Amino acid sequence: MLQVMLSAKLLLAAVVAAAVLGTAFAAASLGSPAQAQKEEKLVQGHALESYTTTGDVLDPEHQDTRANPAEIDPDRYLREFNYGRTSTLPDGTTMREFTIIADDKQTLEVSPGVFYNAWTFNGTIPGPTIRATEGDLVRINFINNGSKPHTMHFHSIHEAQMDGVFEVIAPGGQFTYEFRAEPYGLFLYHCHVQPIEEHIAHGLYGVYIIDPKEGRPDADEMVILMNGYDTDFDTENNFYTVNGIPFYYMHHPIQIEKDRLVRVYLVNILEFDPINNFHLHGNVYNVYRTGTGLTVDESTDMITMSQGERSILEFSYKYPGTYMFHAHKTEFAEKGWVGTFLVKE
Amino acid sequence: MQATASTGKIVASALIPLVILGGMIAFLFWPGNDILNFGTPLPDVTVERIEFGERLITAHIRNTGPETVDIAQADVNDRIRPAAIEPSKTLERYGAARVVIPYDWNEGQPYEVGITTSDGTRFAGSVEAATMTPKPDAGQVSLLALLGTYVGIIPVLIGLLWLPFLKQLSQGKYMFFISLTAGLLLFLGIDAVVEANEISAQTVAGSVGGAVLIATVTVFSFLGLLYVSERLVERNNQQKATIAGASSVALMIAIGIGLHNLGEGLAIGGAMVAGEVALSTFLIVGFTLHNTTEGLAIVAPVARQKPKIAYLALLGFIAGAPAIAGAWIGGFVASPIASVVFLAVGAGAVFQVVYAIFKFAGGKEKLLSGPVVAGIAAGMILMYLTALLI
Repeated sequence: MLQVMLSAKLLLAAVVAAAVLGTAFAAASLGSPAQAQKEEKLVQGHALESYTTTGDVLDPEHQDTRANPAEIDPDRYLREFNYGRTSTLPDGTTMREFTIIADDKQTLEVSPGVFYNAWTFNGTIPGPTIRATEGDLVRINFINNGSKPHTMHFHSIHEAQMDGVFEVIAPGGQFTYEFRAEPYGLFLYHCHVQPIEEHIAHGLYGVYIIDPKEGRPDADEMVILMNGYDTDFDTENNFYTVNGIPFYYMHHPIQIEKDRLVRVYLVNILEFDPINNFHLHGNVYNVYRTGTGLTVDESTDMITMSQGERSILEFSYKYPGTYMFHAHKTEFAEKGWVGTFLVKE
Repeated sequence: MQATASTGKIVASALIPLVILGGMIAFLFWPGNDILNFGTPLPDVTVERIEFGERLITAHIRNTGPETVDIAQADVNDRIRPAAIEPSKTLERYGAARVVIPYDWNEGQPYEVGITTSDGTRFAGSVEAATMTPKPDAGQVSLLALLGTYVGIIPVLIGLLWLPFLKQLSQGKYMFFISLTAGLLLFLGIDAVVEANEISAQTVAGSVGGAVLIATVTVFSFLGLLYVSERLVERNNQQKATIAGASSVALMIAIGIGLHNLGEGLAIGGAMVAGEVALSTFLIVGFTLHNTTEGLAIVAPVARQKPKIAYLALLGFIAGAPAIAGAWIGGFVASPIASVVFLAVGAGAVFQVVYAIFKFAGGKEKLLSGPVVAGIAAGMILMYLTALLI
């Protein structure tokens, strides 16, 4: 009797087990036809290697899959110079007024699929390029919209109280920076609240250009700012970029004309790594160190800069085609600091 | 009627704490209840296995963090690379994916594969020396089978040849040798636990709880086999077979060693894939010496009887053949978690065998006689020395 009951229980257990397994198999086989319908995509390596997949593609080098490409737009940033709201003072001086709002609560997609708490001037990285002519009066209405204290510290000549170092602007606070634009050259601005490394690395920086009174020769002008993102906070950059997005100018080449003079305002704001550099393919360029002179300092295809250094580069292309430019610290290049010029006839 | 009522009471008294517990969990998880939600759950992704194909590197990854993650990027040696992720870049908790990176890798070089999640955190796994991952084709299957044969079957069979020698020993010397086998197995069990912990520390995520998993599986395997073995001995005693006790012990030793060799084969197959083991003659010789002692362990309990050759060969096969199966699993499919589990099963199995040997020997003499102590010590030292060869 006992044995009969035992074997009945065993049978029941076997039936339950079979039912569970059967259901699992059925569910698994239902799932597979859906997968088979997925389209096949090609992943191209750097040389001959490639792979075809029905899964997802992770390829920031060949495509920009960001959900909102406008929030950091290297194309727009490249040639966007802000001259401010201009007015003429009684003594004939041109005054240029800018409004800059700092924020530290945004999350931006700094590389396709990678979201980072960016600290920004005017909502993007890098901050707006501020441009004035030597002798102008520059007035910056600075508003701190963030949750931490911030400042704007400009490089170039100004009074001590306009240096944006000791007058820390609390969250919700405002400050008006005012100074003469002098001397002419290529400068930058950034937040100077400590820890400075943290405030800069999160994205609080931008370019400040002072043109000489007599101007520079006509050229296709552009800003190239070299930065990085330490997204896992280990004091090493995970991404290196020019103008905000890794590999951006690989899939969006910078279009220039053959034989036309190109002027690059090159700024290095990279944190953590002591040096950065700019190597141009198929050409050499004239270097004006810090842009504070009108005579060429050297002609080269390779300039190395320390943190915060700037140079103006001038060149024109003799032959049409696609030319690469990148950090010759090639580790940076393979983490995003690489792009191309498309030279057109 | 009376009986039904009391059964109902018993069931109710068992369920009431569970219902209250369920209510509390439901309260904590209730949508909008934030009283215990603080801190940011950190993602965790484990690279479980890296394979090398024709101009391809494939990383098998698993989301071992508390929440669903999105994978944003892949890199090789910390350099960002175009990659495919299958089936999807979104991984549920404990979900797995294959990251396939077109890459012209070099034989014998170390590689690190990194995975960056959507919050910019990078997780990496590495191999010491890249080598083409064996595909389960006829050549590789037979190569791994050959490896398993050398490591498992042959040494065990050689060890069995000590039977005539053991037969001629006096009781004291016989106890020494049977204790020697206990020492050998004790060493094997400890070795398996240590190795399982090493694998667990290197490649198994913290959330899996490798060390306690090993302890649990080892105890489970020990108790399960002990239960089976006691029933087996009991049944044989009922049948009044005179040699049954000894041959049951021998069979259980063979099964225990077989389970151990399954784990060992798995580890060898997995290591071959990871490029950590250069398949050298020296290595094979080392394993052969090491495992020959396992044959001695099987044959010792039945040395006083006249076992049939075929029966002995069967025991040798039971003990050795799982190494082949292990090498296949480890070489072609296994995850590090499987390696850890199988090693722990093997450890529990050999501990059970040690227990069985003691019980077998203890029946004839007090437990810790001089020959027994000397045998255990000699066995462990012998294993340590042969392990140095590997």
